[in-house]
Amino acid sequence: MSTYGTPGAGPAVFDPATLPPDDNVNPYTFCVELKGSQWFLQKGKMIAYYGSIDFNGVGHGRLDRLVRTSFHSPLHASDWVVAEGSGKMLLADRAFDVNSYDLEDGNLTIRSGNLLAFQPTLALKQSIVPGFLTLIGTGKFVAASNGPVVFMEPPIRVDPQALVGWADCPSPCHHYDHGYMTGVMGGLRALTGLGGASGEEHQFEFVGAGTVLLQSSETLMAEQATGAVPHQAGVPGGGAHSPQAGQSGAPRLPGQLGDLQRRFGL
Amino acid sequence: MFRLQSSKVLAVDMTGDAVKAKNGSMVAYDGEMAFKKLSGGGEGIRGMVTRRLTGEQMTLMEVKGRGTCWFADRASEINLVSIQGDKLYVESSNLLATDGGLRTGTEFTGLRGASQGNGLFTTTVEGHGQAAIMSDGPAVVLRVSAQYPLTVDPGAYVAHQGNLRQSFQSGVTFRTLLGEGGGEAFQMRFEGDGLVYVQPSERNTIAGDV
Repeated sequence: MSTYGTPGAGPAVFDPATLPPDDNVNPYTFCVELKGSQWFLQKGKMIAYYGSIDFNGVGHGRLDRLVRTSFHSPLHASDWVVAEGSGKMLLADRAFDVNSYDLEDGNLTIRSGNLLAFQPTLALKQSIVPGFLTLIGTGKFVAASNGPVVFMEPPIRVDPQALVGWADCPSPCHHYDHGYMTGVMGGLRALTGLGGASGEEHQFEFVGAGTVLLQSSETLMAEQATGAVPHQAGVPGGGAHSPQAGQSGAPRLPGQLGDLQRRFGL
Repeated sequence: MFRLQSSKVLAVDMTGDAVKAKNGSMVAYDGEMAFKKLSGGGEGIRGMVTRRLTGEQMTLMEVKGRGTCWFADRASEINLVSIQGDKLYVESSNLLATDGGLRTGTEFTGLRGASQGNGLFTTTVEGHGQAAIMSDGPAVVLRVSAQYPLTVDPGAYVAHQGNLRQSFQSGVTFRTLLGEGGGEAFQMRFEGDGLVYVQPSERNTIAGDV
């Protein structure tokens, strides 16, 4: 299917009969077949379609019932649309790798910017972890990543920027290489960046049974606003803090560069 | 003879003939080559004036010689297009190289061009031969036929060829104004018979946010 795998060969031409139903056209483009069915997709990720397909904002009155059953992130509503009709539709996102995943009575949590589209048989919920979304149920969804996705088994510690999502792991948590950062030398290293702060002193840790999804680069997808949560005690990100401060659930450790390193994306 | 050295490098084997290529896109050559800037894309004074007026500017060079010449531009994906008497419509910024014998020109595209953020005019290539166009990510080639019209997001459109009619669809309703739009308010619809090239990435367009 690759148009450039054989140098010199003409490009493959697709029409509605040869476009794969619910599969990748190439590593960067995904084809969704609609037969009177519906798909949720992120705004603006459709690049072309055959047939007659309508795109309606999630706030569209007729979709109320659908939204009630499979969309539980009320404040995302403006970022999502429902595609409805019959035909074949191509999805892509900034020439990033796209892949589809099947969930069978399962759950998967994914960084909010990476999710492109999902079937309404899945329920979309906002994760307790800020910036992530959880899909629960049975069905197919499409996600983008910078570079191909790698599947890993816990126990594992991963770089925060490389994390795409995880399935079935109940224990995502922060991990700091404490030994490296403490003591006089560690403090100096952390404060000045001299003497080898490796930039890898902080990881996410997963243990237990499940799967962790990583992308093969540390380029983040643009974060999608995941909406706000009610201002209640005990709700992560919902405290009296600004949403920015609520993003980090981790306590400030001695020897960290305040918020500076996070601002620089380290 | 055009061939792809890799998906991002175009190799052209030449035996005394010429190709037109985007100025400065040569990355290597072997053999004997002469590079000559073509003012106004080799379209003469009238072409130069048209391009200046329409903002569809393009600086081309003519490469002539014997041997192999390699072209690339900012690691964009390159797609080969063969033109057999029909017309290729492409944005000048997406055109990398054409056979020396192909004629290039400028054409009015109307509202469709404005929605892409690329101005009201587009570049045409016609004749018999090969051309190389660039896209952000490998382009998907979609066939349009009488029973299968195609709708494309203006931000992902790269080029089209053949006998196609295009119309501009707007789904702007009062909901769009309330920020509750479908996210695909502006679309290009192609009917007729031909091929459309779309890239797996969207340029920023005026329509991108509604």
